Amino acid sequence: MISLASYLIISIILFVIGLMVMIARKNIVAILLGIELILNAAALNFVAYSKFVTNNLDGHIFALFIIVVAAAEAAVGLAIVIRFFQLKETIHIDEATQLRN
Amino acid sequence: MLDILKISVQMYLPELICVGLMCLLLVAEAMHKDEGTDRSKIYILATAGLLATACALMMNLHIKPTLGFYNAVVIDQFSTLIKLILVFGTLGSLWLSKSSNDIYSDLKSEFVVLAIGTLIGGMLLASANNMLTVYLGIEILSILSYVMTSLKREDSTSTEAGMKYALYGGLTAGIMLFGMSHIYGLLGSIQFTELAPKIASVQGTDLVFLMAAFLLFFAGLGYKISAFPFHMWSPDVYQGAPIPVTAFFAIVPKMAGIAVLIRFSNLFFSVSSPLSTVWIGLLHIVAALTMTVGNVTAIGQDSVKRLLAFSSIGHVGMMILGIVVLDEVGTRAILYYGMAYLFMTLVAFWITSVLNDTYGTDSQAIFRGLIHRHPSMAIMMTVVLFSLAGMPPFSGFVAKFNILSVVIEKKYYGLAFIAAINSVIGLYYYMKLIKEMVFSKPESTEMVPGFTDGTRVLVVALTLPVLFMGIFWEGLMSLSGGAKLFIQ
Repeated sequence: MISLASYLIISIILFVIGLMVMIARKNIVAILLGIELILNAAALNFVAYSKFVTNNLDGHIFALFIIVVAAAEAAVGLAIVIRFFQLKETIHIDEATQLRN
Repeated sequence: MLDILKISVQMYLPELICVGLMCLLLVAEAMHKDEGTDRSKIYILATAGLLATACALMMNLHIKPTLGFYNAVVIDQFSTLIKLILVFGTLGSLWLSKSSNDIYSDLKSEFVVLAIGTLIGGMLLASANNMLTVYLGIEILSILSYVMTSLKREDSTSTEAGMKYALYGGLTAGIMLFGMSHIYGLLGSIQFTELAPKIASVQGTDLVFLMAAFLLFFAGLGYKISAFPFHMWSPDVYQGAPIPVTAFFAIVPKMAGIAVLIRFSNLFFSVSSPLSTVWIGLLHIVAALTMTVGNVTAIGQDSVKRLLAFSSIGHVGMMILGIVVLDEVGTRAILYYGMAYLFMTLVAFWITSVLNDTYGTDSQAIFRGLIHRHPSMAIMMTVVLFSLAGMPPFSGFVAKFNILSVVIEKKYYGLAFIAAINSVIGLYYYMKLIKEMVFSKPESTEMVPGFTDGTRVLVVALTLPVLFMGIFWEGLMSLSGGAKLFIQ
């Protein structure tokens, strides 16, 4: 039987990997993937808590909403990245330096 | 069950009008796709719809607080007043976009649609009563904001700003969700009304985890209101986005975020518990640092858009001061601050927009000697800057005074001291701009083309409240005096 703790450990690992990706990777598409990992960590938490602790459906509903909203966010994010690529011919985050003090 | 739905829908009329308006505008926008067609019909439709929303909100002002849609949203006077500020902020930036050249003319109708969509998200946030609605509200606000930021498609700064906004936004939303998931797991519900009573009884290791979860939750809200340390995106986004969009960002997402922070803090932490001590301490630090960072960094800025961005960060810090006290007087002070801030910000951005259209840049140099080149514009800008700096007799002074008086009443002298110092710092950079306008010699004696007739009336109409709200502020305070938060 898989316990709540295993789910929570997996989700925290996902969360940390997502954060690391956001900090360490320079490729913007990879950074967007990092965001997805963080969102999935949260969704996993919701479902696990819903199954083991609270016994109501709030967590499941929340997870569904997270999936839908993450898709919308990824669509908009990718569209902007494509525009950035068309203008600058790179998707390296270090090239995004026009706006500075 | 049908009854509940009926009541919910009835009190949710303003939002429904907005949603209907957005759908209508989408259709109307698709029919005006060709270049060069006149878009004033779309603006008239949007204005009519928003005024109808405002009327519906006015009617909601007198109903007693109600929960709707199975406790997902709450309609009380506080949320209705915040929504009124949001609606008028949207209306102002829509009309600013009409006269501005900073948005491509064939994208103007798209801006209208997006702004109204964002407004719907803001209204959802203002009356959010469970974590799901908070999340949805923040995401509706954010996702549409990313698109609005990169509205100048051919301009690489605008696209860069949109991208930075999207990346920061995605990250903080994720962190907030992670926090929410643990709050849900530890307390067993996503409804605010069910969560709040359980806070006081949490003990032991659960308490530590819950604290961490609340800190993570704050990341999402702090990002939306650009509080320290989540403010880094805001100057870049403000500078990169077209000016009407910047004016919109300075008002709507910020006030919506402040609203949800007020409701959340008052609902969860007005009863003293170990958690509330931590939360209030957090708000103390965030308020002090947000003000200081915003005002100090504003000093060296040459771009006026960037300067207004940092000054708006400073103003958010002031508003958080009103949350720290956790009572109705503080909430009322914030509402007044929001109203004053709405008018000041709109006029400041409007005048910047007119000058930006003329000179193609937003550096402070475009203001040089403005008093010789367009006296009325310079006078209005001076009034607004004085008001932003918090000088009497303008509305900004009364707003700051209200906040400071509640803070001192609660004996948070340290915070009041920091706020006072920040007002002085703020005065310095606003004065520098005024000095540039009034005392510097203009490079050429050429007059600024200035406003068209319609916009002149509008800008004057927006400046007058800045004056009158500073003098006849008691009436307005009594209006927001009924602004009780609905707490079970």
